Amino acid sequence: MNKLTLMAHLVVGYLSLEKTISIVKAMEKAGADFVELQIPFSDPLADGPTIMRACENSLANGTKVKDAFAVAQKLSKEVAIPLLFMAYYNTVFKYGVEKFCRDAKKAGITGLIVPDMSIEEESCEHFLQFCKKYSLHNIQVVSPSSTNERLKKNAKVANGFVYVTARQGVTGARAQLDKNLISFLKRVRQYFAIPIAVGFGISKKEHLKVLKGHADIAIVGSAIIDVINRSKGSKIEENISNFIRELKKPVAAV
Amino acid sequence: MKGHFGQFGGRYVPEMLIPALEELEKVYEEARKDKAFQKEFRYLLKTFSGRPTPLTFAKNLTQKLRGAKIYLKNEGLNHTGAHKITHCIGQALLARRMGKTRLIAETGAGQHGLATATVAAKLGFSCTVYMGEVDIARQRPNVFLIEQLGATVIPVKFGNKTLKDAVNAAIKDWIENVKNTHYLLGSIVGPHPYPTINRDFQSVVGREVKQQIKKEEGKLPDYIIACVGGGSNAMGVFDAFLKEKSVKLIGVEAGGKGSKTGENATRFPNGSVGVVEGYKSYFLQDSDGQIQKTHSISAGLDYAGIGPQFAHLKETGRVRFESVTDKEVLEAFKTLAKTEGIIPALESAHAVAYAIQLAPKLKKSEIIVVNISGRGDKDLFIVAKALKDKNFLAFLKEYIKTYE
Ligand SMILES: Cc1ncc(COP(=O)(O)O)c(C=O)c1O
Repeated sequence: MNKLTLMAHLVVGYLSLEKTISIVKAMEKAGADFVELQIPFSDPLADGPTIMRACENSLANGTKVKDAFAVAQKLSKEVAIPLLFMAYYNTVFKYGVEKFCRDAKKAGITGLIVPDMSIEEESCEHFLQFCKKYSLHNIQVVSPSSTNERLKKNAKVANGFVYVTARQGVTGARAQLDKNLISFLKRVRQYFAIPIAVGFGISKKEHLKVLKGHADIAIVGSAIIDVINRSKGSKIEENISNFIRELKKPVAAV
Repeated sequence: MKGHFGQFGGRYVPEMLIPALEELEKVYEEARKDKAFQKEFRYLLKTFSGRPTPLTFAKNLTQKLRGAKIYLKNEGLNHTGAHKITHCIGQALLARRMGKTRLIAETGAGQHGLATATVAAKLGFSCTVYMGEVDIARQRPNVFLIEQLGATVIPVKFGNKTLKDAVNAAIKDWIENVKNTHYLLGSIVGPHPYPTINRDFQSVVGREVKQQIKKEEGKLPDYIIACVGGGSNAMGVFDAFLKEKSVKLIGVEAGGKGSKTGENATRFPNGSVGVVEGYKSYFLQDSDGQIQKTHSISAGLDYAGIGPQFAHLKETGRVRFESVTDKEVLEAFKTLAKTEGIIPALESAHAVAYAIQLAPKLKKSEIIVVNISGRGDKDLFIVAKALKDKNFLAFLKEYIKTYE
């Protein structure tokens, strides 16, 4: 059976840029296998209230796109696990698609998750082309509403891993996994030869237990921000570490 | 490429929404060619909304300004008071064709929400309307009416709490409930096929104007002027004239309180190209691509983006953009009421304000058509306050007592 690894998510500059750095380091120590750094955006279309508020907070703190690159640069020297950027396409577009890819690579980023950059627009935007040029994984996102046709189309261009949303909806921690998730993951497997990462709604170790054997990476985002929001400033890193360790318990390789 | 207007438009959405947009596009393409669909659409426009709306010669205003002849296309006489109902009827029929049972909409001024709630009641859909908290605070009469029609209004508390945030909230609802829900987007914005669908439905306005002005004057107008929020009323009246090169098309944006960032909604010249809410166009944004605050006295023009076709028409030079300030808008509101007996929506008063500036500079033989996209009933409270009407304030104070 495949090992189930963990990708932890964080909005860059949530609380502060310093906190982002110390939290990511704590995530690595606690056993996170990847970290997804979301660049805050004013209009995050695919995000629920938890991540929206985190974006608002970060922007209110004055976080700039260039800060995300600086944070990545610093972190990639200090942690060994792969770091990915999640951004909305306007952030990439305004920065300049090629420049964004080049600078991300330079900052030690290994992959880009840009959920609203649909493959139909590639001929205008050349996003996939520049990901390739700068050896970045372009992480495609698919969802339960994706038809087999869409899965096939995405599989053609996907690399690194495929980001599968566990539910038809926006981000946000949920108590239950969708009852059709496993059959959906089986459908995804038929089209994708690369690892499957599952996110949206994942918030507890029971969820990871269910995913084991059907997915390769579990993605936890809003649930981590919820932990931050429940913690006092100095306790944040410790509480996140405990949360991640607890999550990974049932799936740790023997 | 389909759904693109030059470099603008497109479909920049999470994969989750692609199937729903593909379905909408396919069903629309079928419906467009289906005579029965077109017949029902026209029937409802006529018997429910009250089309055609009149083209009125503004004789007094023309005499007062001593310039071009001014005609008013009175879209305010549509049922629910604005042009919005036209694309609502069209989309509701598409929703029924797709087997959806629920309509959702965003609204700024409340006009689009009102029109959506109205067609939902008429055609038997359940209905939820998203509206920014700021807009709810200034457009309560429409909120009340929407609720009377059986729809639910959900306040949006994120971002700037205005129109763009209502769009975001509606898209998220749609993502969650795409199986039974149609998102009845209210302007020529958003991902393909919305800009095309709403333009096509609204284009009846320009076709009517063409017939009406030919009957009155025996020729085409020299200018058509319309306010531009997302752009649905303007594109509706312009579309039939895009190929008539002698007709100059002018879009009027919200100049707000002034030229400072955050105090207006003038995408031209202050905006830059971006990709937000599923489409590529001009947006009021900072150098990082964060959407900026906007302001207008009219909630319907208080929007950071603009329809992608307008971005293209601006670049090709086919449509010229102007802006007027809140103050000029109030003056135009008063002038139109007193000279012509027509109380325009504050959005539409933008077009009137620019026409008042332009007309005296033109020859008496020239003709201007001003699109009055809506009537001003909904703006009663805003205008009374802006005009510092003491009697209205006294009335409110007294009236509150009768509530308690
Ligand atoms: C009367 C009226 N005119 C104009 C607008 C602006 O929208 P659009 O530019 O799509 O016509 C609105 C929007 O609410 C409106 O209510």
